[in-house]
Amino acid sequence: MAREYDGRVEQLDPVRWRLPRDPSKGMRVDGIIYASQALIGEALSGGGACQVANVATLPGIVGASLAMPDIHWGYGFCIGGVAAMDVEEGGIVSPGGVGYDINCGVRLLRSDLEARDVRPRLKELVDQLFRDLPAGVGVGGPFEFGQQQLRGICRDGSRYLADHGLADQADLDVTESGGRLDDADPDTVSPKAFHRGADQCGTLGSGNHFAEVQVVDEVFDAPAAQAMGLEPGKVTFMIHCGSRGLGHQICEDYLRELRDAPARYGIQLPDRQLVCAPASSGEGRRYLSAMRCAANFAWANRQLLVNLVRQTLARFFGASPERLGLRQIYDVAHNIAKLETHEVQGRRRLLCVHRKGATRAFPPGHPELPAVYAQIGQPVLIPGDMGRASYVLVGTQGAMEQTFGSTCHGAGRVLSRQAAIASARGRRIDQELAQQGIIAKARGRTGLAEEQPAAYKDVEEVVRTVALAGLSKPVARLRPMGVVKG
Amino acid sequence: MTRGHRTIEHTADIGLEAWGDSLADMMAGLAEGLAELVCPPRHVQPLRRVQLRVQAEDPEALAVDFLSAVLGRVQVDRFVVHHVEARQDGPCGLEAVLVGEPYDPSRHELEQEIKAVTYHQVRAVCEGGRWLGRVFLDI
Repeated sequence: MAREYDGRVEQLDPVRWRLPRDPSKGMRVDGIIYASQALIGEALSGGGACQVANVATLPGIVGASLAMPDIHWGYGFCIGGVAAMDVEEGGIVSPGGVGYDINCGVRLLRSDLEARDVRPRLKELVDQLFRDLPAGVGVGGPFEFGQQQLRGICRDGSRYLADHGLADQADLDVTESGGRLDDADPDTVSPKAFHRGADQCGTLGSGNHFAEVQVVDEVFDAPAAQAMGLEPGKVTFMIHCGSRGLGHQICEDYLRELRDAPARYGIQLPDRQLVCAPASSGEGRRYLSAMRCAANFAWANRQLLVNLVRQTLARFFGASPERLGLRQIYDVAHNIAKLETHEVQGRRRLLCVHRKGATRAFPPGHPELPAVYAQIGQPVLIPGDMGRASYVLVGTQGAMEQTFGSTCHGAGRVLSRQAAIASARGRRIDQELAQQGIIAKARGRTGLAEEQPAAYKDVEEVVRTVALAGLSKPVARLRPMGVVKG
Repeated sequence: MTRGHRTIEHTADIGLEAWGDSLADMMAGLAEGLAELVCPPRHVQPLRRVQLRVQAEDPEALAVDFLSAVLGRVQVDRFVVHHVEARQDGPCGLEAVLVGEPYDPSRHELEQEIKAVTYHQVRAVCEGGRWLGRVFLDI
């Protein structure tokens, strides 16, 4: 159903492609797609490029409508899209620029465990994580939160958990935005959204969300790896999930609430899924507030999951998390809109930066970074697929100059779920992965088939592209050992 | 009465198409398609009836709003659906009944978590006296 891009495309260099501003299509700025020669074809034919051009029509957009190399078709904005709108110049905020899974993101723990010591008990460990981590369709978590507690989580995120003994300051220090966005008013969240999220804080969910046991396979930047505690052969644990039903419902609620807003503000839209309102308007501020509530919920969700991982590992190895050297490296959001100040054409401007399937990548010395990463830049966590690799990168000045401090977020799908299921017919994906030494377990009947490695682009090509473009710098490659999916 | 539904391919997610002799039939087909993705109806018994009333400004918005309401019942309230009855209520409204039973993990298998019903390429049109509908679901 995707529409092929039929406008002009100019190659600027080996990894940058320009979709020139076309006033006849209402484009206010150029589109820029970051892609290697190997990735650009899919970007242009798969519908993503059309969406880059559509986003370029939105009021207040500055610089360019951007897409990272993991671009693929999304609802309204493409996945891998970055768009910054000038709040003081009528710039809009759009729920379609964040997506349904608000603050879907990634958290990574390092450990002193050696892969060679873990491997003999790997199956047992994955089985235990599979039992302990709530995952799958309709599965609630072990944490029961009442209405007042949920409101507290939405308002204060991981900080709420820390205040109630469920998170350490050390984790908050290495979580994007400290695991809490200001100006998150729970009154902007509907009762239905609270109801949908009530038993889901501390659950993985399904789809492409996972928990993974990994081994540090190669280090590319020794000082940065050392600052993060990453050493070849050591085991890491990655969690990928978001704001669950609460975030999905908030997006749905505000798409409906904003349905009439474009007409009220005289905004012409090429796609109904791009509904939006000026970020400074009442409607825009209400959406931003509710979106922040979902973002805070998502950080609390990943915090609770990481708590469960720590408990499981402590029991499994008979040693405390401290003795196992379990320490959080970082937590990043990759579906979010934030008000940030950036320099544009020599002027500091307050921008509403939409990152949808894109990761913040702030450079060394940025004031928002914790002291431990001040010298190396913000860690960027890029999950790949369950058969190949995931990457740890760091943010760069190049990202600040080109992409409002943003980079890619993952591999990006190439096969539809139905096509992936069809291609897995007659095969055992778990056995194929086991032959590579990877133990994978999923609750859903089709989970492993839908998420098989062939369903995704090669994350290595995506990472190589952002590195060549100067958007972030590779630090280490992590290979999957064990995977738990919903 | 002829009505039906089928799933359609999409890179990241999944789409639904439905058809029927009336707007209400077509919408009921979309609703059955959505409910079937979450929980196949083969082990669901028609024991209870849940009523829904939805009004919208146009047929496309009605499709999104109606299916979002169905999704709420199915996914949030854990009501699994055997079949859907619907009748038109005014120029752009529906009165529908979901016939099924509360989710029972010992008998029902939940197959898919659906995040939302989207506006992407949503379609609800009458062509040659036959209603056709299409929605994409974020999963």
